[in-house]
Amino acid sequence: MKKNMLWIAIAALLVPILARGLWFYHGFPHQPKIATPDYQNMIVSSPPLETPNPVADKDTKQLSGLALFDFAHTNQYQPSEIQSLNEAIEKRGGKAESITDTTLLENKLKYASAYIVISPSAAFTTDETRIVQSFVERGGRLIVFADATRGLISYDFNSGAAINNPDSNAANPLLSPYGITVNNDYLYNLKKHEGNFRNVFFDSFGKNELTFGLKQVALYGTHSIKSTAGLILLRGDESTLSSIDDAHDPAEGGAALSENGNVLAFGDFTFLSSPYKNVADNATLIANIADFALGSKQVISLANFPYIFKQPVVQVYPSSKVQLTAETIAAISSLQTSLRSTDTSIEIVKEAPSDGDALILGTFTTSDDLLKFTDPFNIDLDKSTETISVKNLGDIGRIGNGLLLFEKNKKGNTLTLLADTQENLVSLLNTVSSGSLSGCVLQDNIGVCSIGSGSSFSGDSGTTSESTSTAEPTKIEATPTAAG
Amino acid sequence: MNQVKLNSENIRTWLLWLVLPLVIGLIIASSIPQPVVGIIRLDDAIYPYTARDMIQQIHYAMENPEVRAVVLAFDSPGGTVVDTEDVYMELTRLHAKKPIVTAVNGMAASGAYYLSSGTDYIYAKPTSLVGNIGVIGYLPPVPSIFEEIISTGPYKLWGAPRDSDMRQIDMIKEGFFQAVKLGRGKRINPDVVFTGQIWIGTEAVHNGIADAIGTETDALNKAAQLAGVSHYKTVDMHDLASTTTQSYTAFFSQSKDGATLPYPTKAGLYMLFIPQIPGQK
Repeated sequence: MKKNMLWIAIAALLVPILARGLWFYHGFPHQPKIATPDYQNMIVSSPPLETPNPVADKDTKQLSGLALFDFAHTNQYQPSEIQSLNEAIEKRGGKAESITDTTLLENKLKYASAYIVISPSAAFTTDETRIVQSFVERGGRLIVFADATRGLISYDFNSGAAINNPDSNAANPLLSPYGITVNNDYLYNLKKHEGNFRNVFFDSFGKNELTFGLKQVALYGTHSIKSTAGLILLRGDESTLSSIDDAHDPAEGGAALSENGNVLAFGDFTFLSSPYKNVADNATLIANIADFALGSKQVISLANFPYIFKQPVVQVYPSSKVQLTAETIAAISSLQTSLRSTDTSIEIVKEAPSDGDALILGTFTTSDDLLKFTDPFNIDLDKSTETISVKNLGDIGRIGNGLLLFEKNKKGNTLTLLADTQENLVSLLNTVSSGSLSGCVLQDNIGVCSIGSGSSFSGDSGTTSESTSTAEPTKIEATPTAAG
Repeated sequence: MNQVKLNSENIRTWLLWLVLPLVIGLIIASSIPQPVVGIIRLDDAIYPYTARDMIQQIHYAMENPEVRAVVLAFDSPGGTVVDTEDVYMELTRLHAKKPIVTAVNGMAASGAYYLSSGTDYIYAKPTSLVGNIGVIGYLPPVPSIFEEIISTGPYKLWGAPRDSDMRQIDMIKEGFFQAVKLGRGKRINPDVVFTGQIWIGTEAVHNGIADAIGTETDALNKAAQLAGVSHYKTVDMHDLASTTTQSYTAFFSQSKDGATLPYPTKAGLYMLFIPQIPGQK
């Protein structure tokens, strides 16, 4: 009996406890394995070590030439950011100059080796684009650096909404004639990058001198560059994606070269600046760009006047039919003043020059000493006719017209000025001294300038006239390098 | 007379052997606490003030056995890196003892998702914003010196070279990524979720950064289930933890007309979602 009561007592004690306990608690709590990030062993990445430049200092090419940096299109860079490229250019004997006034562009491109445009924000006008195209057609080199981290942001006046104006907007009209497009995006790589996903490595290269000696380069916030006919120079791996569609396009990369080999586009210029210029093979790439910029083979023609001479001294030779009158001397002095701005001086010589740069003064009257300068142009100076027959230009009236004949050879460049009279020769000299041939009709290496009344000529098709150009400065800009 | 005596003994016997133990049992049973599922709410960014508040609540939950599980209810864009990591590490200690479930109300972005990733289960509403995994930092200026400011080293004024700052940010990101990988395991595709994208709840469930569509009630039930309790009491941990008055510094900037902007007042390192404001200059 007592035993039964004891069980009842225990049951009475436990039932409420169990009832309440089981009412609330009916299992063991979930006990997951807890792991936390291994913070202590995380390390900050280091940039890849600079690899040696395969071209030692003593082997650096001495190229000379001028690299003209655009600073007239609200360019989003500071000169200090491109110091490495300037230094590489100067190391090769070249000069770097910036242009802030687009009215000077045409004149400056007459003697520049390369025109370098960095992150432009203001649009290039149709005329400027034409001038640059003409420069590239002559063999000049156009290098465009865009940058995905630059560009301007403006705000809508009414809504206040931000309007992004990426530099690709201004860069593309310059590049599109050459089949190159700067995409309004940036490349990124989440798997393999240089310190941040937007700093992309490139280790596959288009075969070209620009990529000589490169094993790996890094660009820092680069647009992707597309080229339809040209060469993609820097290609990322499959995990390099474009921000436009988060996809990899093997036809796009960080840089491209046009089919004609004269136009180069980069999606980034941060790699030119410290400390990124020394990462991986970036220094080698910068050296190659400097070689490219100064490696231009711009074809010098009369259109490049006054930058048509190569030597520091130009010999002025008045032919036997020309007298050194006071007016002639004054005109030559005026020419001297103009040429001085190109670091060229003149020297009057009594013998017809056989080498070196020369300026020959003559009239339409044939003389033996003049023949060697006119013969290469097949010009018939026969006095019996009222016109002079000039190849490609047709028959030119003797009266009121002046002829310019430009000949290039290894020994030097020669410009021959011919007019019907001594007075008109002085007028022609004065025209030339103005530093501009905008009033003349130019065809390859022959030019015809109107220097008086009554002039006329019946020209062939295909002539070009500098008078169509705009904003031709009357003053020659001071930069001394005469290209050849 | 004997009959009366017998009845009286029976009553005493029953009282002694049944009623008394029953009463004692009831008294003991009443001391069994009703389980509590605590809610820790974060309806703000994560910065020193809110982080300390959360940590106090976490400590309370750890120290009090009646709190059997915790629900984190988020409407937060994230916050500073250091405060996020601080709360995260305290949460992992709590998680080792008690289940934690996340309920995303408006948003669990960036640092708030960092905290969520270490919990047992994540509920989001269909249009809650979830994700934005990553770090934002403002690079220091290019080192320079000033006539009127004397410092004792090139980085005394600026803290670090710009390049090393960038690399530090990338390392901090790795910590975040590891936390998410540890918390979410194979449910996520790192290539997708580590892009920094923010998703609405429905998509978040599809890509594995959340577990199910649900509300705070679902989260409470799930937390109770994981804790093995039922008929639980829900308590806002802020009330229990009796958080002390702390100095408060505004985290977000304010516009000239007094509106709160989504940008922090100070430059620094953040795990923060900063949405674009339409028309904001």
